[in-house]
Order: sequence, then structure tokens, then C-alpha cells
Amino acid sequence: MIWLTILAMAALVFASRYLFLEPKLPVRLSKQTLTFLSYSAPAVLTAIVAPIVFIQEGSSGLDLSLNNSYLVSAAVATILAYTTRNVLLTTIASMVLFFTIH
Amino acid sequence: MATLAVTNTNQDKVDAFLKGALAVMPLTIAVIPWGILAGSFALDAGLSAVESQAMSVIVFAGSAQLVALGMIKAGVGLTSIMITTLLITSRHLLYAMAMRSQISPMRLRWRLILGFLLTDELFAIANQGKQHKLNPWYALGGGLSFYLGWNIATAMGIFAGHTITDLDSWGLDFAIAATFIAIVVPSIKKPSVLLCVLVSLVCAVVCDLFAMEAGLLIAALTGMVSGTVYAKLTGEKS
Repeated sequence: MIWLTILAMAALVFASRYLFLEPKLPVRLSKQTLTFLSYSAPAVLTAIVAPIVFIQEGSSGLDLSLNNSYLVSAAVATILAYTTRNVLLTTIASMVLFFTIH
Repeated sequence: MATLAVTNTNQDKVDAFLKGALAVMPLTIAVIPWGILAGSFALDAGLSAVESQAMSVIVFAGSAQLVALGMIKAGVGLTSIMITTLLITSRHLLYAMAMRSQISPMRLRWRLILGFLLTDELFAIANQGKQHKLNPWYALGGGLSFYLGWNIATAMGIFAGHTITDLDSWGLDFAIAATFIAIVVPSIKKPSVLLCVLVSLVCAVVCDLFAMEAGLLIAALTGMVSGTVYAKLTGEKS
């Protein structure tokens, strides 16, 4: 049963990743669609990050207080990313801050 | 001369491969705790060591793996696990669509390999706009080193086994947040992208508060529509 689950999951995940890479798939993406898709990276990555940062179990959901170490560290990460544009520096510095105050 | 040319090409490939591996490195580091968690949590959910590693080797999808393991542990049936996996993995449809013009002209071997390796992280480093031509070796360097990192971390988790149970209460999810912020923020170069990000953010939080399973996809699509419509209405240059 575990193996069936693993293989079925693998098939589903791979299919979702490969489907639109297949040239025989009869879709031509219009310029409009490509423009729309150019927003996919910031949109999806933000949608993954937002709940991690803003929603904490302890405070019955939304936590906008300064006690939310996720929010404080994410704000610092945003400022660092904006000013330095350095992925590694932003990641490490904000993680050090996070684990210090968490 | 011919030999020299070949050497140069190979050198270019190696350079591109290493450049990709370097670009994804912060993300590989950030995912290590999650890989460890995936390994130890798999044992906890009742999988054997081989099955636990096989999941990371064959499925290679962090969030889908962790959610599925939780469901296996809770005794949920295969159909529900598949529907949930489909919801979580559906964002890859968007990634593949966005990379279609770059990857679909490549040879079958490249398409299969890069398709298999197409994670959030690879997409984040490889999707640099339609003007930029994707070097497959760069993508391979990024994708493969991330794959190795994920699997080594899983193996560490299996090896450590039940000794690490509280790993998720350490706040390791912040590592993911930090890296994604570091990638998204510098990519905001137009008002429409800023709007897209803000709308996604608010939608994702609202969806999460209402515990909507498809929240991620709804939030992302709403953000993408907002950005596209704004750019069109204001005549923003692409």
C-alpha cells in the first residue's frame, strides 16, 4: 500500500511538471498568456510564504504583533532583500535574527 | 583545434552547471531541515527506511510528501491522498507552462530530466523571463544539486530516526520563507508585479484562515490576474 501510494504520487507530481513541457501537447500559448504566466513565480512563492509569516497557531490565526518573530524577521528579510539584492546574505542574516528571537 | 573547441564546450557546460548549483545553494541549505523532517516523519508514519528514502528519490516534492505522510499516519485512504497531492502539485502546471517556450524545444531526454527536477526552487532560479535563453546545463546544475541535497537530508532524517520529533516546532519553516522573500523582493521591478505580490499575500492569508485546501492556487491565480489586468489597464511596458 505504501509503495502504491509512493508510485501514484510520483506519477501525479511528474505529470503535473511535465505536461506543458511536452511539445506534442496541442497548446499554443498566446502573448497574453505568457504575460499572465510571467507573474507566476512572484505569485506562487508569495502565496507559500504569506501563511507561514502571518498565521501563527498560538494567537488563533492572524498575528500582526511584534511578538510574531516570523513577521519581524520576514520584515527584516524584505528590507535586506530590497537594499542588498543578495539572496544568500538575506537568507542567512534573517535566519540568524529569527533563531535569536524565536 | 577541434579538440580545443570540444574542451571549450565541455568547459562551458561545467561552468553553467556549477553556476546553477551555486544559484540554488541558498535554497538547498534552507531545505535541509525539511529533508531531515521528511525522513524522520516518514519513519514515524510507519514507512520502512527504504520506503522513506524512496519517497524522496521518486516523488521529490517536499510539501506533497510531508502532507501525504501526515495523512498516511492518520490512516487516510489513497484517494484522499491523491486529491490532496493533486491540489498541492497543481502549481507545477503553471511552472511548466511558464517554462514551455524554453524547455519544450529541447530533446526528450532534457525535457524528462528537467521536468522531473522542476520544483519551486528550480523554477525560482531558472525562470528569468522569456528573453533570457535557458541553458539546460544551468538548470541541471540547479535541479540536480537540489535533488541531491533533498535526498541526503532525507537520509539524515532516517538515520536520526525518532530522536528528532519536535523538529517542526523549531520554526524551520522560516528558512523557506526567508529564501523565497530573498528571491521575490528583488524581482519586483514593476508596479504590476508589486500588486500581484500584495494580492497573492492577502489572498493566501485569508484562504489559510478559512483553511481552504486550494488556497495556494487560488491566491496565486488571483495575484497573477491582478498583475496582468493592472499592466494592461495602465499600458505598462513588459
